[in-house]
Amino acid sequence: MAPAIPVVIEARGLGKIFSVERAPIVALQDISFAVPEGRFVSLVGPSGCGKSTLLQMLAGLVPSTTGEVLVDGAVVRRPIPEKISVMFQDATLLPWKRIAENIEFPLEIAGVPAAERHARAAGMLALVGLSEFAERYPHELSGGMRQRIAIARGLAPNPRILLMDEPFGALDEQTRIKMGHELLRIWAKTKKTIFFITHSLTEALFLSDIVLVMSHRPGRIVGVIDAALPRPRTYDIIGSAEFGAVRNRIWKLISQDDTEAGETGMASL
Amino acid sequence: MKPSVLAAQAAFVLFVIGAWEYGDAVGLFDPKILPPPSQVAVALKGLLQSASFLGDAADTIVRVIAAFLIGAPIALATGFVMGENLDVGRSLSPIFNLVLAVPQSIFLPIFVLVFGLGFTEKLIFGITHVFFVVAINAAAAVREVPHGQVLLARSFGAGRFKIYRSIYMPAMAPQVMTGLRLGIIFDIIGILLAEMYASRSGLGVLLLRWGESYAVDKLMAATVLISLVTILINELMRVFEHRIGRWRQAMA
Ligand SMILES: Nc1ncnc2c1ncn2[C@@H]1O[C@H](COP(=O)(O)OP(=O)(O)OP(=O)(O)O)[C@@H](O)[C@H]1O
Ligand SMILES: [Mg+2]
Repeated sequence: MAPAIPVVIEARGLGKIFSVERAPIVALQDISFAVPEGRFVSLVGPSGCGKSTLLQMLAGLVPSTTGEVLVDGAVVRRPIPEKISVMFQDATLLPWKRIAENIEFPLEIAGVPAAERHARAAGMLALVGLSEFAERYPHELSGGMRQRIAIARGLAPNPRILLMDEPFGALDEQTRIKMGHELLRIWAKTKKTIFFITHSLTEALFLSDIVLVMSHRPGRIVGVIDAALPRPRTYDIIGSAEFGAVRNRIWKLISQDDTEAGETGMASL
Repeated sequence: MKPSVLAAQAAFVLFVIGAWEYGDAVGLFDPKILPPPSQVAVALKGLLQSASFLGDAADTIVRVIAAFLIGAPIALATGFVMGENLDVGRSLSPIFNLVLAVPQSIFLPIFVLVFGLGFTEKLIFGITHVFFVVAINAAAAVREVPHGQVLLARSFGAGRFKIYRSIYMPAMAPQVMTGLRLGIIFDIIGILLAEMYASRSGLGVLLLRWGESYAVDKLMAATVLISLVTILINELMRVFEHRIGRWRQAMA
């Protein structure tokens, strides 16, 4: 990676201990990494290894027990909506709001005037190809559509950074790959920095420039893989020898570290 | 509701009224105990034109509304604190649930002893009827606000007040409305009971007096009237409850 690219997100020795009654849980330990500007960085790891917790710490939603998060060189203590949008593991649309109103929600909080809110929501709906659903309610949409709306909502405030927590986790394999493709298209168009959580190696490799590999309990980073496959990427790449080679490298990292992690990885291959 | 269902329900009500009228006409019922609907209707018309009846009705209505206006806001605030503060909630919830399980009517003689007869005693008795059910529902509504939605709002920079306004209020509204609807019905029960037990004015005392003096047509007329009014209040609030909670049913 060219050293000239500035770092936008930096984790320095992050640790998290949940003190539940009796036994404290060490969820994360000594997590350090850097996300360069404009890159697509994925984090893979088995279920329960602390990915969501890490993402919420990056977003300034949850305090870390040790270490710190820096965004543009400044320590993060609270959410920074001007720079970062978070997409949660479930789409979390507000069920009482119409689709367009859901997309406007972050703008409403930011105090954007109504006319501009409507215009931006309409633009975002067009971007994710769901314009005709503007006046519907979330329960009238399919799971995949709801995820696209959550993406549109995250993009609406025009942040530089997207933190995405397994946004396609609940979707079937086919829809998932299609959504990934769509995300790459949006990413290419908007030039955001994306931090993307998944437990699918294939998905991580297909989408990313860099893949961070996490181990199970306590969650640690056990590998940083440079996934410099050529872009733009098509589905064919998944079957290529190059793709297979990188996937095997990650696979080895995971399986020598932790058998439980290996099993989870296998399921999503 | 489907028109056919509505028609069937209307037919059922008409049938009951018809059978009641017919039963009296052929001597099946004793009109001294169960006067025919036509006679009850005449009595009802008379009541609605009687200044003294309307005065008693107004007394009852004022008591019900006053108890609600005082009890509901205190209950909402208490419920909110119980829901937001786990320690408060954990300590108070079981007590409130126990209180709700005890028939509150048994406390009435104590109320009369403590507060004497009069407006204050009935008002406070009404307030206790409103309070617990509204508070319990408000507390449950707070606890059921999805954590994910709060995190979402925070991630977009919402402060505490904005989160209450944009997440808590809409998420809680349907269940809070359920509490308020039950609260007003409990309120009416409490006030009428207090009036029937011992009072100088109000609908409760009229019902009791007419029952004891065999003024059956008036008794029936007032009973029908009170029933209709409470059904109307309940249904109106339920329509409102459904409207603000439409998203909730759609999800289920
Ligand atoms: N608020 C909390 N209190 C106590 N323990 C928690 C809390 N949040 C998370 N944990 C624990 O921390 C660990 C990591 O949870 P986290 O949700 O971050 O995992 P994850 O990697 O996102 O899992 P998944 O892939 O299933 O989404 C788990 O063991 C979980 O039980
Ligand atoms: Mg997670």
